[in-house]
Amino acid sequence: MPGPYPGLVVRVHSENSIDASSGKVNPELVKQMISSGMKTLTGDARQEDAWARFISPKDVVGIKVNCSGAPRIRSSPEVVAVIAENLIAVGVPAKQIHVYERFDNQLQTVGYGKYLPAGVNVYAAETTRESILGYDPKTYVETSFYGEQDTRSNVVRLVSETLTKIVNVPNLKEHQASGVTGCLKNISYGNFSNVARGHNAPQTYLGTFIGALAAVEPVRSRVVLNIMDGLMGVWHAGPFSEMPRFRFYPKQMMFGTDPVAMDHKLIDVIEEKRKAEGAVSIFDRSMSHVGKDNTNPNTNHYIREPGHIEYASKLGLGVFDAASIKLKVIEL
Amino acid sequence: MLLLLAALPALFWDGAADTASALRDAGINQILVPAARLASWKSVPGIVAEAADLEGAVKLLPPTVDYRINEAAATSAPWVIANGWRFIRRPGGRFYYDVTGKQAALAAAEAFCYGANAMIRTDAAGLKPLAAMLDFLRTLSGEPLPPVADIGYIDDGSAASGEVMNLMVRDNLLFQLVTAPDRRLKLNVKLGTREYPLEDARNPGVVAHAVRFHLTDEKRSLRIFGSQVVVARLTASSDHVRLHLLNYAGAARKVEGIRVRVLGQYPKHQLSLADGAGVELLDYSVEPDATEFTLPELKMYAVIDLLR
Repeated sequence: MPGPYPGLVVRVHSENSIDASSGKVNPELVKQMISSGMKTLTGDARQEDAWARFISPKDVVGIKVNCSGAPRIRSSPEVVAVIAENLIAVGVPAKQIHVYERFDNQLQTVGYGKYLPAGVNVYAAETTRESILGYDPKTYVETSFYGEQDTRSNVVRLVSETLTKIVNVPNLKEHQASGVTGCLKNISYGNFSNVARGHNAPQTYLGTFIGALAAVEPVRSRVVLNIMDGLMGVWHAGPFSEMPRFRFYPKQMMFGTDPVAMDHKLIDVIEEKRKAEGAVSIFDRSMSHVGKDNTNPNTNHYIREPGHIEYASKLGLGVFDAASIKLKVIEL
Repeated sequence: MLLLLAALPALFWDGAADTASALRDAGINQILVPAARLASWKSVPGIVAEAADLEGAVKLLPPTVDYRINEAAATSAPWVIANGWRFIRRPGGRFYYDVTGKQAALAAAEAFCYGANAMIRTDAAGLKPLAAMLDFLRTLSGEPLPPVADIGYIDDGSAASGEVMNLMVRDNLLFQLVTAPDRRLKLNVKLGTREYPLEDARNPGVVAHAVRFHLTDEKRSLRIFGSQVVVARLTASSDHVRLHLLNYAGAARKVEGIRVRVLGQYPKHQLSLADGAGVELLDYSVEPDATEFTLPELKMYAVIDLLR
């Protein structure tokens, strides 16, 4: 990160990509969206050439999904399946592809296996919550926030010991603590253990912790591509989606190698939606808007830290300056 | 207490002699009984009984974890109910537990870790787990080693001081009692000093946090990662460290993996588990200043001997 296309974000929108009343995804349109997004990102005429810029047949590829709001909102299995098919198309054997997430109980609710090409692996780092066995004991970030005894956050063992490349597939969501949860949050909190210690309401350390984690090798260099699944989104009380009124349907996907630029665009989408709904900005830090009842879109459990994205840019993870971000929009 | 039972915690059984078959079935063959019942137990074959009295012994809390899930709290850390500080405060004291079921086994292991003179009164459901734990404790070889301490703690005997000790035990901050600062230790702590004002002791967690801050994690002889419910006891000689690990959540909520860091280089190890056949230490690493390893599973109690 930020990879070969710093500051470049491709947004592909397709009005019929998902049925907002049923949540049913149109797999054929998803396929077209991904093809279009990858070709526009790279400038290649053929999608195989676009994928081949990032992945070779020798790679062992992780598809980092986001299931923190599953089963209601998650990296759509239709999207993940098309990504896996494209990896196979450039020569990666199915057995060298791993769809993975931290928590097995969340992963299981999605049932990716039914959608994926035969032979693709589905893996969770924690088959039992808080088990450390799926994490690399030698690669960790050590810091103390609130005097917790366990001061280490270890990287997922699959990432450090097996994968050579990672395709990051976050959702398009507001997050009660980090402001939004997009590329950077899925890379950081999604690849390390013992990270919930970073937020203890109402204040959190997410402003700096997310970027610090995402910058750790080998995570930083193995995440080669971000595909943000924004067919559906959450504009309040995320990363979960327990209250249907806070779901919305942007019907879009974003593509890029720069997680900072993409997350900046994510902020724009969430802010626009919240404004339309009459909700305060995610940058609001007033304690009068902090409270337990987040059924009110102007009340939140935490003081949000969307500044984690700009902070990540200072670690060299990508471009935050709006004027330096180039957005290409494709309508299908 | 008793020559026969002095080295191990012992079952205190106040049932009549006609309950002997329940003890035998559980695998119990040594007991302490009230003096008034001793004569009747003396004639029971297969069970050695000696007289004991709970009066004058310090009653301990049943070791466990209170998760307090539905209570607002300043911390999300579970509340570990441990008795280690009581043993440290009264090293020659007499203690007893009144526990049920599998807690009897955890009580025995806890008392054993501290070399405490403890009696365990339990119910019928506690007999088998206790017998199994006592059998395991008998297999642990060697003379008791002196405890490792990073901190010298001057205990004023107050309740507040006791609670500070309790939190240091629970946080695996290794300390020993001293009557005056001991320069051989890494840190000395006394309530009522500038570093540890008495008013802070109203929230003993503040004091324990300050102790950790002043000691620094780097200087701690022992670190535990991956669980908030495991309490350790570390003893050592010049070339041998014995680490006791107690899972206060008990066997019903086994810990799946804890990472341990012990200062010093120990290339050899031996793992003894009360209930974990086939378990081996993983990712064993001897670094320039410390030894680290992962215990993949801890049901209730483990002893790890580290050797130079």
